[in-house]
Amino acid sequence: MFETWWYALPIVVQDGLVAAALLTPIAVTGVACLWGYRVMPLVVGLLRKHLSTSLTFTLLIACSVAISIGLIAQERGLREGTARAADKFDLIVAAPGSEITAMLAAVYLQPTALPLIDGNIYQQIENHPLVELAAPLAFGDSWEGRRIVGTTAAFVSHMSTPLAAGYVFSQMNEAVVGANVPLNVGDVIAPTHGDGDGDGAEEDTYNTHDFSYVISGKMTRTGSPWDDAIMVSVETVWDIHAMPIGHGPEWDGSLGGPFDPAYFSGTPAVLVRAEALWANYSLQSEFYTAQTMAFFPGNVLAQLHALMGDIRQVMQVLAITTQVLVAVAVLTGLSMLSRILAKRMALLRALGAPRRFIFGVTWSFATILTVVGATVGIVLGMLATQVLSRVLTAQTGILIETGVRWPEVHLVASFVSTVALLSHFPAYLASKRNLLDDLRI
Amino acid sequence: MHMAGLVIKDLRIESTSGRCLLSIPKLAVPAGTSLAIRGPSGAGKSTLLFALAGLIPINSGSIRWDDTDLAHLSDKARTAFRDAACGIIFQDHFLFEELSAAQNASLTALYAPKARRRRIAELAQDVMASLGVSNAEKRTVTSFSGGERQRIAVARALAKDPQIVLADEPTASLDRATADRLIVDLFGTLRGAARTLIVVSHDPALIAAADHQLTISDGQVADYV
Repeated sequence: MFETWWYALPIVVQDGLVAAALLTPIAVTGVACLWGYRVMPLVVGLLRKHLSTSLTFTLLIACSVAISIGLIAQERGLREGTARAADKFDLIVAAPGSEITAMLAAVYLQPTALPLIDGNIYQQIENHPLVELAAPLAFGDSWEGRRIVGTTAAFVSHMSTPLAAGYVFSQMNEAVVGANVPLNVGDVIAPTHGDGDGDGAEEDTYNTHDFSYVISGKMTRTGSPWDDAIMVSVETVWDIHAMPIGHGPEWDGSLGGPFDPAYFSGTPAVLVRAEALWANYSLQSEFYTAQTMAFFPGNVLAQLHALMGDIRQVMQVLAITTQVLVAVAVLTGLSMLSRILAKRMALLRALGAPRRFIFGVTWSFATILTVVGATVGIVLGMLATQVLSRVLTAQTGILIETGVRWPEVHLVASFVSTVALLSHFPAYLASKRNLLDDLRI
Repeated sequence: MHMAGLVIKDLRIESTSGRCLLSIPKLAVPAGTSLAIRGPSGAGKSTLLFALAGLIPINSGSIRWDDTDLAHLSDKARTAFRDAACGIIFQDHFLFEELSAAQNASLTALYAPKARRRRIAELAQDVMASLGVSNAEKRTVTSFSGGERQRIAVARALAKDPQIVLADEPTASLDRATADRLIVDLFGTLRGAARTLIVVSHDPALIAAADHQLTISDGQVADYV
């Protein structure tokens, strides 16, 4: 009955209700110990009087919350970013080896030496009746640190339809740039030999080719390292490296497949796409042979994410441990502070204030510090995550987007609620102190 | 307003080690009058005052304010009695420095029933005005002199219109002129309202101003006039 009702609710409502349930102890305690009283003038006065102590506690709580939600948001952003970057890559066929290495090279454009698939195998892939798109990839050049990738016009269209500007290359000297490349249609660039990471003497030795590209188009943003890449025809990459260009003497000059196996210079990876989902699985099975491996980047990523999931659990344990330690430190501090406040509380009781009022003042003092600290922590955590995401995005080209979502809200709500419950302890101590002893302090 | 008279019978208060701190066989203070308690330091004056406020549990005997016997009240009930009937003035005025004078004077409004809060605030203002405390809303307690602070403490005690006012050495920290003015203000205000005042003091002027004088020595009643 309850399950049926619960799962019929929209997810956002479920999350909201979970957050509300987590915060219920605060509401219940607040109503129970504050009903009928006005504690805020006293609490605000105490916060002002013990400003440095209050700020220290608040900062401690803020840091622990910031670390916790920062870790969670960052891990999720990374997971989603990598998944989004691989979204367009249905099936990769490469020479046997490490699927992760092949994926890093083909999807994330990480410089890696991979064995090549020859022309006969490529022809089998290209001519397979289930294959809708087969795009070879060729690496080797760069421009100002950005990788130049040889491929087909169909692949560029697959990555970005429509283009943000211009058209897909149709001539050997034309290139399409990713959204982050600071070039516009009509600009001319000279490719440099090497992967552009700037650490190879080879690049200095060979320097530029005696060749230039004209930018014919610019892709829309994909959120992947391809936003920083420059796409050219695979024939051109082979040609300027003095290799067969994939077509025989009778070639009419049209770029792209079909390629002649006898003139095919080899490719480290082929992006393969079939119209139907089942066909992709069929192709994956068919091309997992002694000569090739075929894999879904999504699957490889899922394995990596599973590993990240384990790491995430460790990070969550660390985050929660940090929060518990901070909570204990804060509550210990508050218990000590309750001694400092003892004379004031004793005076109030001497004047006729009920113990519940004393409890309420002390509990409110602790809970306000916790709530303010948690709120500041959320802001600090998100700011830190934004900065870190930008740095990672700049370094990897993978768009990592972060923001506060329900898991963080639930985590912070749990933390605040737990500390609010634990704050009963110093509040109880404050309300039970010996009145006369405290008046004589 | 109902007036509260005090009757003490066979009162005995002991320390935790069993030593007798105070023993009063019989004492009566009519409602609406004032009593000054005097005696050497350590004689048991403050112990008696705190016992009259229900701040100290008594070992035997009774402290009866009209129909209310503090000996038979729980801690919670004694707190409620203090809230409802007592205004207490301490020697070291015990003000909250972080609050304004007006907030200090109406401190009891923070936990009073909603219906009484406005009345307490108004009374606090009236008493402070009559005692010459100015700009109480804006000024923090630290900006007032010692005499003014003691008058704020008096205003705090009187703001809830108590039947009984208990004061512990209210003029001890004041210079003579300020102390004299406070005595006039305090007695004038309470006599006008027919409230019972019980005050512990070494100040001859304050003792002389009271209707009755009780001398305590070594925990025993030495004299009562």
